Amino acid sequence: MTLRENVLAILRYQPYERMPIVAFGFWAETVQKWADEGHITQEEADDYIRFGDNGKGDKSIMEKLGFDFNWNSCIGAWVQLSPMFDVEVREVLADGSQIIRDSMGLICKVKPGTVSIPSEIGTSLTDREAWEKDYLPKLQMRTDRIPYDVLKSLPAPEDREIPIGLHLGSLIGNMRNMLGVEELSYLYADDEELYEEIINTMCGLCYDCAKAILETGVKFDYAHYWEDICYKNGPLVSPGVFEELVGPWYRKISDLLAEYGVDIISLDCDGCIDALLPIWLENGVNTMFPIEVGTWGANIAPWREKYGKQVRGVGGMNKTVFARDKAAVDEEVERLKKLVELGGYIPCPDHRIAPDAEFELVQYYCQRMRECL
Amino acid sequence: MDLQEISLQLQAGKVKMVKTLVQEAIDAGIPAAQILEEGLLAGMSVIGEKFKNNEIFVPEVLIAARAMNTGATLLKPLLASEGVQSIGKVCIGTVQGDLHDIGKNLVKMMLEGKGIEVIDLGTDVSPETFVQTAKDEGCQIICCSALLTTTMGVMADVVKAAEEAGIRDQVKIMIGGAPITEAFCRQIGADAYTSDAASAADCAAAFLQ
Repeated sequence: MTLRENVLAILRYQPYERMPIVAFGFWAETVQKWADEGHITQEEADDYIRFGDNGKGDKSIMEKLGFDFNWNSCIGAWVQLSPMFDVEVREVLADGSQIIRDSMGLICKVKPGTVSIPSEIGTSLTDREAWEKDYLPKLQMRTDRIPYDVLKSLPAPEDREIPIGLHLGSLIGNMRNMLGVEELSYLYADDEELYEEIINTMCGLCYDCAKAILETGVKFDYAHYWEDICYKNGPLVSPGVFEELVGPWYRKISDLLAEYGVDIISLDCDGCIDALLPIWLENGVNTMFPIEVGTWGANIAPWREKYGKQVRGVGGMNKTVFARDKAAVDEEVERLKKLVELGGYIPCPDHRIAPDAEFELVQYYCQRMRECL
Repeated sequence: MDLQEISLQLQAGKVKMVKTLVQEAIDAGIPAAQILEEGLLAGMSVIGEKFKNNEIFVPEVLIAARAMNTGATLLKPLLASEGVQSIGKVCIGTVQGDLHDIGKNLVKMMLEGKGIEVIDLGTDVSPETFVQTAKDEGCQIICCSALLTTTMGVMADVVKAAEEAGIRDQVKIMIGGAPITEAFCRQIGADAYTSDAASAADCAAAFLQ
């Protein structure tokens, strides 16, 4: 069986030959550290930093570590603002921090040289006028959103060594990136009609793009969303509002995918997803990723107990052990073995591998996983 | 006038209504301290409990806090003239190297909802700034937030800086954020770790009693 066939068999609870050793990339600082230490070449690090997941550098680094492939092996349409905003520096603070308007129109504080997401300060999407003038025209369906050339170059399913996913975009995450968490909340309280219109516009675009891609005849092994709409203690949206306004769009896209034979629908959401999980499951999203263990103790086992086999998972490997020692890695591998026995689950580091990771310990993890599973 | 209505409207996040009702209460001659306590803080107390119990979520907290701030702005000059003191003073920030601030902002809102004065130092705050602010402003508590495993170590530097500045026995140091644990709190010698914003506010209020 190829890796692709193994992945699909595992997530469909069918017999398989071996558990793929799946990765989800690295922090840029991690690969730079490993290059400085001589584990990888500077060329590999530079390529990874420039091209990211599944680039030449990523593949080469994964091979040195012992990973089989990156879960983020997806092709999708451009479902964000088109064109995006020009990034503008609006103010430079005394400590070198900058107040900028980013490419999504978010006003935020960044600090060059600091590894952190920006601090959200405000948004350019201040009212209906701004929406209609500066955003709505940039969220219309156009054929240049579809990567037809890349789609043509994809191998047929039977010729694929690894699975290829259809990236569906984001039904709420991009809206959060345009507004910021606070303004997203205030907008619902202040102008529910506009809130709903933005959701419908952005979700409609994702649907139209998915349909256009599927209509090309290219076959996909799975579909994948990015959302990141939860934090350590729960969702950043109200589950009731999410279920009412966004849930139907997941259903509509799941039904579309089913027409084209795609039955594995994966979703990338960091943080504690428990309050949103039943909404995703009810609407056809069935594979959770990255199941953050280190942040809040996520684990597929209680979800399986509660929701049965409809919930699958990719992720859930506590990457913080890469900063410890071989005994910690061994302990983690033993924990994962029990979860793998549940079926429908593929371990993967529970987010990008951080700079405190020791190269040898990541290698050791891959080796142990290969031996055990 | 029933101050409970202010509490209820605050819980629903109705900014304009809270503003109107607070103004009406002021006009009716109700002392600002009473409006604050029985209206605004009572409402935020309910929000805090519900948030802790996962009955409501971040958006409801944010809009309730916004309503509280609107009402509190009207009360502020009156509270000063009545000589009403806050129950204590806290400085809060996200530690150096880290720009995440959603969690920190939630804690700030919950602290204010307990009637605590909060000095928000923002993000990327150095240990020296935390300590100097605590000294200059007479803060009883320093609250540090971090989301990154690579920045949480700065919290240990805050504890150390407080020791070196000779104020460690005068301030409590509270820590929180995604990678933080109770064990880490003990390891660096901080005074308290809390896992969510509402618990942080409860803990701070207990320290200040």
